Amino acid sequence: MCGIVGYIGRQDALPILIEGLKHLEYRGYDSAGVAILGKDLQIQKSQGHIAALEAKLVQMDGTTGLAHTRWATHGRPSDLNAHPFTDCSGAMAIVHNGIIENFQALKEDLLAKGHTFVSETDTETLVHLFEEHYKGDLAEAVRAGLKKVVGSYAVAVIHRDHPGMLVAARNENPLVVGVSADGEGVMASDVTPLLDFTHEFTFLEDGDLVVLREGEFQLMDLDGEPVERPVHVVDWNLEDAQKGGFEHFMLKEIFEQPQAILDSMMGRIVEEDLTALAPPDVDKIKIIACGTSYHAGLIGKYILESLAGLDTTVEMASEYRYSNLAKESALVVAITQSGETIDTISAVREAKRRGTSTLAITNVVGSTITREADQTIYTRAGPEIGVAATKTFITQLIAIYLLAFALGAKRRTIGAEHLRVLREELRRLPSQVQQVLNNRDLIKGVAEPIHEAHDVYFIGRNINYPSALEGALKLKEISYIHAEGYPAGEMKHGPIALVGEDTPIIAIVVDDPVRPKMLSNIMEVSARDAPVFAVGLEDDVELAKLVDVVIPVPRTNPIFSPVVVLVSLQLLAYFVAHMRKCSIDKPRNLAKSVTVE
Amino acid sequence: MKAVILAAGEGTRLRPLTISRPKVMLRVGDKPILQYAIDALREVGSRDVVIVVGYQKERIQTYFEDGSDFGVSITYEEQRRQLGTGHALLTARDHLDDDFVVIPGDNILDGRMINQLLENRSDITVLITEHAQPRKYGVVELDGDRVSKIVEKPPRRISNLISTGIYHFTHKFLDLLDREVGAGRFELTHAVQTAIEEGVEVKGTLTDGLWLDVVFPWDLLDLNARVLPDAISRKAGTIEDGVTITGPVSIGDGTVIRSGTYIKGPVAIGEGCEVGPSVVIYPTTSIGDNVTISPFTEIRNSVIMDNVAIGGQSYVSHSILDEGSTIGSHFITAAEPKLLLMENELVQIDKIGTIVGENCEISSRVVVDAGRTIGAYCHIEASNRISRDIPDSSRVI
Repeated sequence: MCGIVGYIGRQDALPILIEGLKHLEYRGYDSAGVAILGKDLQIQKSQGHIAALEAKLVQMDGTTGLAHTRWATHGRPSDLNAHPFTDCSGAMAIVHNGIIENFQALKEDLLAKGHTFVSETDTETLVHLFEEHYKGDLAEAVRAGLKKVVGSYAVAVIHRDHPGMLVAARNENPLVVGVSADGEGVMASDVTPLLDFTHEFTFLEDGDLVVLREGEFQLMDLDGEPVERPVHVVDWNLEDAQKGGFEHFMLKEIFEQPQAILDSMMGRIVEEDLTALAPPDVDKIKIIACGTSYHAGLIGKYILESLAGLDTTVEMASEYRYSNLAKESALVVAITQSGETIDTISAVREAKRRGTSTLAITNVVGSTITREADQTIYTRAGPEIGVAATKTFITQLIAIYLLAFALGAKRRTIGAEHLRVLREELRRLPSQVQQVLNNRDLIKGVAEPIHEAHDVYFIGRNINYPSALEGALKLKEISYIHAEGYPAGEMKHGPIALVGEDTPIIAIVVDDPVRPKMLSNIMEVSARDAPVFAVGLEDDVELAKLVDVVIPVPRTNPIFSPVVVLVSLQLLAYFVAHMRKCSIDKPRNLAKSVTVE
Repeated sequence: MKAVILAAGEGTRLRPLTISRPKVMLRVGDKPILQYAIDALREVGSRDVVIVVGYQKERIQTYFEDGSDFGVSITYEEQRRQLGTGHALLTARDHLDDDFVVIPGDNILDGRMINQLLENRSDITVLITEHAQPRKYGVVELDGDRVSKIVEKPPRRISNLISTGIYHFTHKFLDLLDREVGAGRFELTHAVQTAIEEGVEVKGTLTDGLWLDVVFPWDLLDLNARVLPDAISRKAGTIEDGVTITGPVSIGDGTVIRSGTYIKGPVAIGEGCEVGPSVVIYPTTSIGDNVTISPFTEIRNSVIMDNVAIGGQSYVSHSILDEGSTIGSHFITAAEPKLLLMENELVQIDKIGTIVGENCEISSRVVVDAGRTIGAYCHIEASNRISRDIPDSSRVI
C-alpha cells in the first residue's frame, strides 16, 4: 500500500503536502518524497518515516506539487527507489501507487528509443512513457501513455511547462479529487488529506483521468471523452476515518493481531521455506533489543534454547557496547520494530566490529537496520501507529518461532515429526488469539478494580516470566500506573514486603510443569490479602478457587503460551488506561521510534 | 447517494459458526457475505457507506477499515442492543441528510439489483423477489407496482413475493421510523406498513437478479456452490509437478500444492496453505487461509475456514469446518440425505455431512453421522463415533 497526494493553489505547497502525507502515514512509511513546481521542478526524497523526510527538507518554493509515501512489501527501498520520479529532461514528475505488469516490455522499448533510467521501478517506466508521448499537451501525453499500460495504478503527474496543472488517473487503486472554497485543487489516495480543504469530493472510477487546475477539474476517460462522477459530501473527521471505527489505534492494532500473525508466517512455514530462513552455523545466540522488543528477546531466549538447543543470552542494546569483549562468537540477533532504533543499530555495528554475523528482526522494509545486518526477517505486521507496541511485538515472537524452527531443523534438535506438530500448533495461533479477543468484555471487567491501584505486580515463571515483564510495561506506558514484573519465585526474596490489600497481583498460570509452583506463589500473596487476578486456562478449576478472576486463554503448547497471554494483557492495559482517561495512542514522554541515544 | 448497511446481528440460527464472528463475516465463495453488498454499492457509484455494527463489530472493522481498499468510504455506527432492523437504521440517522439506500449486510446481491431498485423510485421503494418459502420473510402484496401490504413472517401464505430488505427511502421516512421505534415497533417492515396505512406511496420493484440469504448453517454450502463458479480463477503459490487441476480453481499466495494432488474446480484455496501430497478436492469447495490438508484425504462440496488442519486418510463431504480446528487422521463424515428439524420444521436436505465449530481438537479415527454438529471448542478423543449433536466446549472421551 502506498499513498499519494497533490495540491494546486496559492499557498506554499510544501507544508500542505507534508501534512497530507502524515494523514496517509497509515498506508505506509518506509520512504517518502515530494515534488514542487515553482520557478523550476524541484524534488526531495528520503527513506524512512515522513518525519525523516521532514527533518532533511530544504524549503522549496512553489504552489503546485505532488508527494508520495511508500510501504514496500518486498524489495528494498532507497532514496533512489523513492518517488517522485522524473523523465529524462527533468521537466516532468510522477508519483504512482500500484503495479505496472507490462513494464519490462515498455521499458525495453523506451530504452531502445534512448530513454535513460535511474531505478529498477515500474513507476519510472511510466514517466518515460509519458515523455515519449508528450507533444506539448500534458493530459494527452498521459492519456496516450496509459493506453499502453497493463496493470493497476493511481498516478499523478506535473510538468515544468504547465504550472497550475496536475494530471492524474486511476485503475484499481484509489484516487479522490476535490476543490476547496478558495479554489485550491487537491487530490489523494483517500479522503483524509482532503478534509482540511473540503468536505465535498469526487472518487475517480477505473479508467478515469482528471485534469486538476486551480478552482476546477475535468474528468475524462482514456479516449478523452468527458465523464461525469457524482460529488460526495462527508461529515466525519479525519482521525476517525483512519481508525476505521475503533476508538484508538492501539485497540485497532490489538484486534488486527490474528491477521498480522497469519501474514507474518505466510510463505515461510513450509519446510523448504524454513530451510531458506536458517542463518549460518552458530553455537550460541545473543539477542539485543530495547523496550518491548527486549521482552520479545527474553521470551526468544526460552524459545531458542528449548527448540534449537542454543545457548542464548539477551542484552539491552544500549548496554551491549560496554562489555569488554574483543571478539564476539555468538550470532547477534537485533530486534527493532522501526529498524531505526539508534541504540540497536549502534549495537549491531559494534557486533560487526567484533567480527560476528548479525540478523535483524524488524517491521520496516529497507530501514537502516536491514542495511547494517547480514540477514533480515521481516515481521510483516503492517504500519503500527499506536505508540505502545502490540501487533509488532506479537509478530516479533512469530519471527522468533520461525527462526527457532529453522535452526532446530538444521541442528537436528527438532525431528521432522516434532516439527510438523509444532507447525500445526503455530498455524492455530491466529484462531486462538481471536478467542482471546472475544473475551474483551470480561477483561474490561477485570480492568475496573485495577484502574484505581497505585502499584500492580505481574508474576510468572519460565517462559511467562518475560510475559510478566511485558504485561507490566504495557500497563505502565499507557496507564501510568506503577507496575513491575517478577519471576514468581523471586517474590519472597523481597518484593513480597510491598504486597498488601491495595496491590493487585496479576499471575500467569498455564498448563506447564511450573503450574504447581505458581499456585503456591499465588497462595503466598493472597495470604497477604492481595487481590489476585490470573491469566490461565478456562478449565483450571484449582486456579479458579485460588484467585478473584481468571482471564481465560486457550490451551496451547506452553512454548506458544506467551502469545495468548500477552494479547489478553494488552487488552487489560488498554482498558485500564481507558478508564483512567489516558492519552492511549500517544502516551506522555514517549515516541514510537527512538532515534536518539 | 448514501447507503446504510445493517450488519449488527449475530445470526444466532447460524451457531456455532457465529460464536466469534457476526453472520455477515462468514465467507461465501472468496469473500465475506458483507463484501457482496459493498462491491454492489461501489459498482453503482454509491461510495459513502454507513455500516451499522453491533455483535463482534471488530471483525468487520479490522477487515474493511475505512473502506479505502474496497473503493468506498465507510463510517461505523454501533447498535448496542440488536432490537430490530428499524431501530438499527435509526442509529445511522445523524449521517443521513437526503434520500438513501438500505441494504441488509447478510444478503448476496449485485449492483444491477440496486440499479433496478433506483429506476422506479418513489417515497419508499422496496426491492422484492419471489421465494419458494415466503413464510420466513416480510411478505409483500402488490397492486400494480404499488405495495398494498407488507407483513413480517405471516402465519398463512399471502403471496410468493418477499421483501429483500433492500430499500430506497427519502429523508422524511426517518421521522415516521422514529415514532414507530419509540412505540416499540422495531422492524423496518412494521414502519413501512404504517407508512402504507398513512397513505405514503410505497413502490415495489421485482428483481430478477440472484438474491441469496443465509439462515441456517447448511445454507452456506448451497450459497457457496452457487457463488463460487463466478469467483476469479487465479493461481499463485507453488504447484509441484504431478498435480492435476481442472476447471476454475483459485490458489492464493504462499500456498503449496504437493505432488499427486487432484483438484477439480470450482474450488477456491486461500493463502499460505499446505495441501498434499496426494489429496483430492472436488467441487464445490472453499478453503480459507493457512489450512493444512494431509495426504490421501478427499474433500468434496465443503467449506473449510482459516487455520484448520485435517489429518491424512480423511473424507470430508458436504461439511463445514470452522476456523482453528485440528482434525486427526481417518476423520470420516458420512454424507447422506437427511430430514432435519429446523425451527420446528422438517426440512429435507439432499446430502448433508458435518459441521465442526471453531477451535475444536478432534483426534484420529473419528466418524460423524450425517447431519450432526460438533460445537465450538470441543475435544473429541480418538475412535469415537458421533451420532448426536455435541454442545460447545464438550469433551467426548
